[in-house]
Amino acid sequence: MKASLIKTAWLLLAFILVTPTVMQAQKAPTSKYKCMIQMTNYLGEGAYIVISLINPKGAYEKTLYVLGPDKEWYNSLKEWHKFQAKKPTNISAITGASVTGGDRAVNVLEIESSKINSGYSLRFESAVEDKKYHMKDLEVPLTTEGLAAKSEGAGYIRYVRFSPN
Amino acid sequence: MTISIWRYSHLALAVSSFILLTLASVTGVILAFKPIQEKINPYRSDQFEALYLSDVIPQLRSQYPGITKLSIDANQFVQMKGTDQEGENMLVFVDPKTGNLLGKPEAPSEFFEWVTALHRSLFLHETGRFFIGLTSFLLLLITISGTVLIIQRQRGVRRFLTRIVRENFAQYYHVVLGRLSLIPIFLLALTGTYLSLARFELIDTAYILPDVDYDAIQDGPPRDATSFDIFKNTPLSEIQSVDFPFSEDVEDYYTLQLKDRALHVNQVTGEILSEVKYPVSVVLTEWSVDLHTGRTNAFWAILLALASGNILFFIYSGFAITLKRRSGRIKNNFTAEESNFIILTGSENGSTFRFAQEIYKQLLQQGKKVYACELNDFQEFPKATHIIVMTATYGLGNPPTNAAQFAIKLAARPQVRQIHYSVVGFGSHAYPDFCKFAFEVDNLLSRQDWATPLVEIHTINDKSPQEFGQWASVWAQHAGVTLDLSTDLGQDQHTCPHNFTVTEKTVLTVPLDAFRLRLRPEGPYSYASGDLLAIYPGNDHRERLYSIGKVAGEIQLSIKLHPGGLGSEYLYGLQVGDRIHGRIDANPHFHFPEKARQVVMVSNGTGIAPFLGMIDEEAGDRERYLYCGFRDQASFSLYESSIREHLNTGNLASFRLARSREGSRQYVKDLLAQDQELIVEVLKNNGVIMLCGSLAMQQDVVELLDGLCTTILGKTVSYYQSHGQILMDCY
Ligand SMILES: Cc1cc2nc3c(=O)[nH]c(=O)nc-3n(C[C@H](O)[C@H](O)[C@H](O)COP(=O)(O)OP(=O)(O)OC[C@H]3O[C@@H](n4cnc5c(N)ncnc54)[C@H](O)[C@@H]3O)c2cc1C
Repeated sequence: MKASLIKTAWLLLAFILVTPTVMQAQKAPTSKYKCMIQMTNYLGEGAYIVISLINPKGAYEKTLYVLGPDKEWYNSLKEWHKFQAKKPTNISAITGASVTGGDRAVNVLEIESSKINSGYSLRFESAVEDKKYHMKDLEVPLTTEGLAAKSEGAGYIRYVRFSPN
Repeated sequence: MTISIWRYSHLALAVSSFILLTLASVTGVILAFKPIQEKINPYRSDQFEALYLSDVIPQLRSQYPGITKLSIDANQFVQMKGTDQEGENMLVFVDPKTGNLLGKPEAPSEFFEWVTALHRSLFLHETGRFFIGLTSFLLLLITISGTVLIIQRQRGVRRFLTRIVRENFAQYYHVVLGRLSLIPIFLLALTGTYLSLARFELIDTAYILPDVDYDAIQDGPPRDATSFDIFKNTPLSEIQSVDFPFSEDVEDYYTLQLKDRALHVNQVTGEILSEVKYPVSVVLTEWSVDLHTGRTNAFWAILLALASGNILFFIYSGFAITLKRRSGRIKNNFTAEESNFIILTGSENGSTFRFAQEIYKQLLQQGKKVYACELNDFQEFPKATHIIVMTATYGLGNPPTNAAQFAIKLAARPQVRQIHYSVVGFGSHAYPDFCKFAFEVDNLLSRQDWATPLVEIHTINDKSPQEFGQWASVWAQHAGVTLDLSTDLGQDQHTCPHNFTVTEKTVLTVPLDAFRLRLRPEGPYSYASGDLLAIYPGNDHRERLYSIGKVAGEIQLSIKLHPGGLGSEYLYGLQVGDRIHGRIDANPHFHFPEKARQVVMVSNGTGIAPFLGMIDEEAGDRERYLYCGFRDQASFSLYESSIREHLNTGNLASFRLARSREGSRQYVKDLLAQDQELIVEVLKNNGVIMLCGSLAMQQDVVELLDGLCTTILGKTVSYYQSHGQILMDCY
């Protein structure tokens, strides 16, 4: 009885000490990319744009960046909002200002290296208050070529460029 | 109640917008503190105004290679965006001179965000924005109509800033503060409207930065960024933002957004790749935001907070004024056809209605059939015996809006029976045309065959209860009714604080003529010729007034004996040495004019009384002319010797006597007609004409003067009456 108690205590201590290392080890290696979004000269309020990682099946996997600070408007990014509602994650660290027509925004995206060249893609979804919503303003295949090219948008985004950080 | 189109619009606009306006003002006051609170942060560089892009951009780029954007906010805080050494997103305030990091921008305050959303869109998105935009447009119209109303009230644009007459708290401060906060509120409304129009794309604020022709981009000769002309010539204070080249590639360039234009700059050569000036609408939008939010200037923000607070006060005081004005309305119990007493009111802001209402109530309580309406509603009053006109004057001696039709209606609706009328004018000596419209009404009525004056026109300065009480008691006496004046509108003195001893009394030589009475005041009472002695011979409410002439330090009265008359019989019954009690009522409007160089005094009968006192004073360098009308030489003999004496000493420049029952049977107005050159000269040279005596005489003389004034001087007689150049005290 006494022995088992001591054993448990040791185990607990070991667990506490080891866990961080284990957690660290669990974090997959990532790559950082600078991502520049150049907007078209549309008229109106600042655009809300969300950049998501899309898996090979075409489903949302992870939110990479949100341009637009006000939660009140997140529901206008309809498809992403469903995903975010189903699997709420804390996005406060990857949230920045919205971008207005003609402007440009540069942000850093952190992408798991294993997802590159594995059939994943990056989706740029955009909405402007009381204007059209673009589920796929732009979708870039997450490949070495895709990240090197300048990709044209279909909605409020004129083009997107990346550069390794 | 007819009110002017401006006042109507002002009210209608206020009524239709006050709920949203209240909301916008309350939130506006709160939001004004946002820039004030922000500016407290120590993120502004002292050097800010002195720096040029060439001092800042190359240095920051070498210090922070990950920099992607520099933006300068309304507080002149410089914000840097990019990636730090670890490649993490970075957003910091930086000192543009030293490159030192000053702090991280705080997440926008949720409270201010919430208030801003409420202020802009009521949380109703587009619909809310529309209503708020509309509210600002209405506020703009309210400001404009309010300005017109102040101009009207102040009698002209040039008098816009002159003193405002205080009627009551709400009215006074509505106008005073309205004038003070006019400009900030106007700007708030204008910029708010503009921003809404721009928001709804009714104003085109689009501009397009031309694309760069990549083929034409030169990659040499390379220059150091510190020596780019555009960087050297652009002060940091003109910049809104700088986008740094995305990479070192020559096809990536700087994008500068200035206050008035945007341009792309080659990062190698410093050449301007393309440039566009913003349309005026974009610059105006920026200005509008600056002015509307006060974001660039804390003092302006405080001013805006005060102005928004004022809007709340205007909403309160505006409604208080309206309610007060409406409370003055009268619901008639009797029709115009069946009523004997008619009260006609002319009022611009309603205060005159309260006086009318008080008289209306009291007459009704006494079982009289009374009907009250506006002067514009003048019609046939088949059973009327008395008309009371109570009217203010508006603008430059104009009728109030609800009296503007009176002259036309009066001419169109002659009455079928004789009616006694009495005009009470309300005004303020702060305005140059004191009670001018009331004088006009009085003169108009006196020309109607069916109209007889019951008492002469009374003017009430600044709603004086004494003056109103004086009119009411004299009118009541003549109309044979009793009025209780112990209300807040009138003032019933009914006391006899002064004591006198009879020192002289003449005996009637002709029956039913006048006699002279001298009274020695028993105390150091201060009074002047033209004041009135009030007595209560029946020891009850019945008051009798007599004009005072101050002769040799004593009160001299001239009284006509009416057989069975309460006052006149009582006075005639006095003996030398008797004591009487009474009250000296100041009557400043009939004092001898201090400033006039020439004064013409006109009387008939006992009306000579105050003038005997006035000529008893030294003339100095003034010229005084006396015109008197009497029945015959015998009536005049009572005063003859003292007048001769004053003529001899030169105290009196001239004297003329008209006798109506003897000789050429003239009236005093005939003498004036003969001497019309003198009369015209006196009026032209700011001299004064004084009338005292019977109402019939007054009517004749005013008619004569009206003719002279309009044909020779080009002004109506009411002009001179309202400017104190024709003074009247007739009964
Ligand atoms: C501002 C003012 C100043 C006045 N100054 C003087 C003045 O200096 N000297 C002076 O003698 N009076 C003056 N009066 C008039 C005076 O106040 C009395 O109205 C007048 O003395 C008659 O009053 P009573 O009591 O004698 O007659 P009441 O008892 O009022 O009336 C008796 C009879 O006289 C008739 N009667 C009353 N008043 C008049 C009238 N005005 N004209 C004709 N008949 C009338 C009545 O119809 C009645 O038949 C002045 C009045 C006012 C309002």
